[in-house]
Amino acid sequence: MSLQRKKSSVLQTTRKIGELIMTYFSKASDAKAQGKPVAWITVFTPVELLYALDVYPIAPEHFGAMCSARGFILDYLQEAEKEGYSQNLCSYSRCSLGYVLSGTSGLMPPPDILMTFRNSCDVYVKWWQSLHMHLGTPLFVGETPYVLTSEDLNNYVLDYVVKQLEQLVEMIEEKFGLRLDMEKLADIVRLSDKASELWLETLKLRSHRPCPLGGRDSASDIFPLVVMQGTNEAVKFYEELLEEVKEKVSMGEGIVENERFRLLFDGIWLWHAFDLIKYFENKGAVFVYEPYSDAWAYRLDASKPLESIARKILAMGLNVDIDLRTERFLESIKEFQIDGAVLFSNRSCKTWSAPQLVTADILSKEFNVPYLLFEADMADPRQYAEAQIKNRIDAFLEVLSER
Amino acid sequence: MKIPNGIRDLCENPTAILNQYRDSGVKIIGYTCSYVPEELIISAGLQPYRVTNIGANTSALTPSFVCPFASATLENILKHEDFFSGFIVAHTCDPMWRLYDILKKKLSKPLFLLRVPHNTDNELSLDFFRMELVRLEEFLENNFEAKIDHNTLFSSIELCNENRALLKSIYVLNTGGKYKINAFDRFHLALASMWMPKSEINTQIKSLNFDNGETRGDVRLHLNGTTVYDLVLIKTIEESGGFVASDDLCTGSRYFWSNVEESQDPISALARRYLKRTPCPSHDPLEQRLEYVNFMIEEFKVQGAITFAERFCDPILYDSVHIRNMLAKKDIPTMVIDYENPSQEIGRIKTRVEAFIESISG
Repeated sequence: MSLQRKKSSVLQTTRKIGELIMTYFSKASDAKAQGKPVAWITVFTPVELLYALDVYPIAPEHFGAMCSARGFILDYLQEAEKEGYSQNLCSYSRCSLGYVLSGTSGLMPPPDILMTFRNSCDVYVKWWQSLHMHLGTPLFVGETPYVLTSEDLNNYVLDYVVKQLEQLVEMIEEKFGLRLDMEKLADIVRLSDKASELWLETLKLRSHRPCPLGGRDSASDIFPLVVMQGTNEAVKFYEELLEEVKEKVSMGEGIVENERFRLLFDGIWLWHAFDLIKYFENKGAVFVYEPYSDAWAYRLDASKPLESIARKILAMGLNVDIDLRTERFLESIKEFQIDGAVLFSNRSCKTWSAPQLVTADILSKEFNVPYLLFEADMADPRQYAEAQIKNRIDAFLEVLSER
Repeated sequence: MKIPNGIRDLCENPTAILNQYRDSGVKIIGYTCSYVPEELIISAGLQPYRVTNIGANTSALTPSFVCPFASATLENILKHEDFFSGFIVAHTCDPMWRLYDILKKKLSKPLFLLRVPHNTDNELSLDFFRMELVRLEEFLENNFEAKIDHNTLFSSIELCNENRALLKSIYVLNTGGKYKINAFDRFHLALASMWMPKSEINTQIKSLNFDNGETRGDVRLHLNGTTVYDLVLIKTIEESGGFVASDDLCTGSRYFWSNVEESQDPISALARRYLKRTPCPSHDPLEQRLEYVNFMIEEFKVQGAITFAERFCDPILYDSVHIRNMLAKKDIPTMVIDYENPSQEIGRIKTRVEAFIESISG
């Protein structure tokens, strides 16, 4: 491990993500060329099932994040806006709609099936309907009711989701002449569970001082857990990552030099302004916990694959009751010794942002954790006032330093 | 035909009726959306009251880019909480879903979230929704010392069916290009049905006399969107040479177009009616909604369609593209008008409405 670091850095394993992403997309084109069905999915759908059925999953949300991070999203956004999609709509959705409207040629091969479960937002439903209207591709819309209490993960709510998964399997089997091999599914579920286990163990190590894994790492390293769950490549990646992070812990090496502030980040990262994380890090502020990084990690039981997968897509991300979400938030404050919270009010993700002021209030009044709340868009660079936001970050860190 | 003044006043200031309910000891349940079966609330001996944005500004508790309707509704709920015994929020769209989250942290009254499946054409969703209605029944019984049984359910279904049938009978007076009741009045009757006791509004509607149909030269328009509570929007269209011949709004035809079937299993019948009604813009399948818009346009001989979009309303903003594309094939012009607070923006809205109507009438 090189010790010649700048003020802040990213992990060696994180540097491999770019290649992993490109391989993942090129495999999609390979699958298409081999006549295998390609599914366009929202990111909280049962990818394990698709891999078991030999259907290749692609997430247009990733595509949106990638286009934004690499600076070529504007053409797609404008193409969608030209068709009449408002700038007030989710930028990921505008990106993939623009991609479709400009001919569906590029990294994402055209889908053979469109698939979504409404767990993060009803935008998923509207976005997938819109893709369906433009492409004419068959559409599967699944419902994952809001989890009000943990009992919902075992009662009629769970049954409802399990039965929808069975419907989905039936639809894919019929449409593409495929058969679900339950043994293969169990193997894939085992791999998916292993990847989650490794990732969760890695995230736990962030409670060390100095923190061995920063925001730029967690934001990038989540990728295999989202669309490559159930693959050997994902497990291999997380094994390497865990090993590197453990080594850093044993050497007492942090992601930033002179760690001063340990922060919570609430929201999706700003892909077009990814260096904003570095801006924090260069001032000695490191992100040690994000609900976003937790969202895809879920332990599965290979002996009950469908039930486990159903629980996973129900309990993911934003689909659990505000009290359960807040509880996790508050636990993290103790576990990761958090000094302050950065809340990103994301114009594209209204379901995430809508209750943020209420949770911020709890953080500040009940737990005495100061917070910074700023507004921008995760993928649309036109909605980002850099100088203003950096000013506010400076002021926020100033407040933290005076405590 | 003249709409009674009481109904006009109520639509201008719907919260006024809350005082009357309180003075007469009526327990009120506030609800937010037309997917909540009023029948269950009535059969528990409670008065349903649809909480709206009328009279409120957006709440400081939500970001500026979240649906202003949901935000102002939140403000109204918090402002008038004392009048209510409890609240039912339906998870139909994202802002309403998150409204529940915020209310859960801010309200002291009993609160229920009704989870409405988005994939409405799936039989599994119907079974699930039925279970949700059973859970709602239990919530009402446990929190308000109510007893809901077959008899109370049958009579509340009958009452609501009568109300919907009356509203629909007025609506269809205008089929085929006739003009018997203006939309401004028609919307008053539908809105009042969400605030007044059903028996009372039913009696008032039955006492109305309709003149013989006349044919006017106004441009016949279809309105699509989610809800319109601020009737200045309808008035503006009708003062600009337009006539709202049909709509697909949750404060319009979607509220009353279909009835609950008579059944020995009333909860299942309610689940079927509410889930299988014309889907609101946040639900699937979109094709069903488009089919309904198409039906309305044919049935009421529509010449143009206006989408009224609450600013930041995702479902409407997506659908407006598909509605425009569909109607373009029939040479029916469309226009989208978005707003946060119609009354405060009426000058701009009027200019656009006038231009649109003029472009159609030539």
